[in-house]
Amino acid sequence: MNIIKPDDKITEILKTDPNKGFSLVVEKYSSRLYWHIRRLVIIHEDADDALQNTFINAWKNMGDFRNESSLYTWLYTIATNEALSLINKRKRNAAVSIDDLGSHFANSREGSTWFDGDEAQVKLQNAILKLPEKQRIVFNLKYFDEMPYEEMSKVTSTSEGALKASYHHAVKKIEKLLGGD
Amino acid sequence: MNKLNEIPDKNPFKVPENYFKEVNRKIISATSGYENEIRKIGFYNKFRPYFLVAASVTGFVILSYIAVTILSPGKKPMQVSEVINEENPELYLNDIDIFTLEENVASMVLSQQESEVSKADIVDYLLQDNIEISDIYEKL
Repeated sequence: MNIIKPDDKITEILKTDPNKGFSLVVEKYSSRLYWHIRRLVIIHEDADDALQNTFINAWKNMGDFRNESSLYTWLYTIATNEALSLINKRKRNAAVSIDDLGSHFANSREGSTWFDGDEAQVKLQNAILKLPEKQRIVFNLKYFDEMPYEEMSKVTSTSEGALKASYHHAVKKIEKLLGGD
Repeated sequence: MNKLNEIPDKNPFKVPENYFKEVNRKIISATSGYENEIRKIGFYNKFRPYFLVAASVTGFVILSYIAVTILSPGKKPMQVSEVINEENPELYLNDIDIFTLEENVASMVLSQQESEVSKADIVDYLLQDNIEISDIYEKL
């Protein structure tokens, strides 16, 4: 089992041996980034595409990565943008829109194969899907990834105050939707 | 957050078996073919802020020069005497009015007259050199 190196070590290795450094980046972040993307796009195949695009873009733009932000926030920013691009592309194709997870999973092979949640989980995911995209990102990053607001501010290019307010409102909405039955 | 807290902290989404191993391999294989962008962290990126400042200052100087050139008041019109000294003396005749021309001609004639040496003066000058007066008058 490979030892996970801290980001500053990986950044140093990237400068001297880019291929080795990038392998370390992929090993360390592929799982985290995948779940972040998956929670936004829902469908596994879409998340798979977006994840691969994320790393390809990161590789192509390694020269733009400066130590002003951490590797972690930089990668999350790319992943978030890939997920949003995919969602917007799906919106243009109305047939693939996902507004209700329950009906989506009931009517597709995807539902039976790649979702293993109970009724409560389906309710939660449906409630999250009803949030506006940006608010959904904030909620997911805070609730599932437990990302500090300072880091989230860099990923979303939004002030910490606005993020806190957004999360607070997201929680209220979800609570209302969960308690609505 | 009561309702949220009641929901078990479990990821409801699933992935195929060995998915992450496979996708990592795919990603590394896909990216190894791309030119390494990291090598571009070099001279340009290091000094990029200075290049930007230099470009801004240069642009400002050029714009200032253009602004001053366009917006500065027009030059004082040349005097007639300045025109006549330029490469196009014929312009003098095109632009000058007849009264000025007559004055200038009159002053030129007067100065010619003043500079004319009289015959008597010439004789006196030559006598100073012990030349015979009969020879002088022959020449005149």
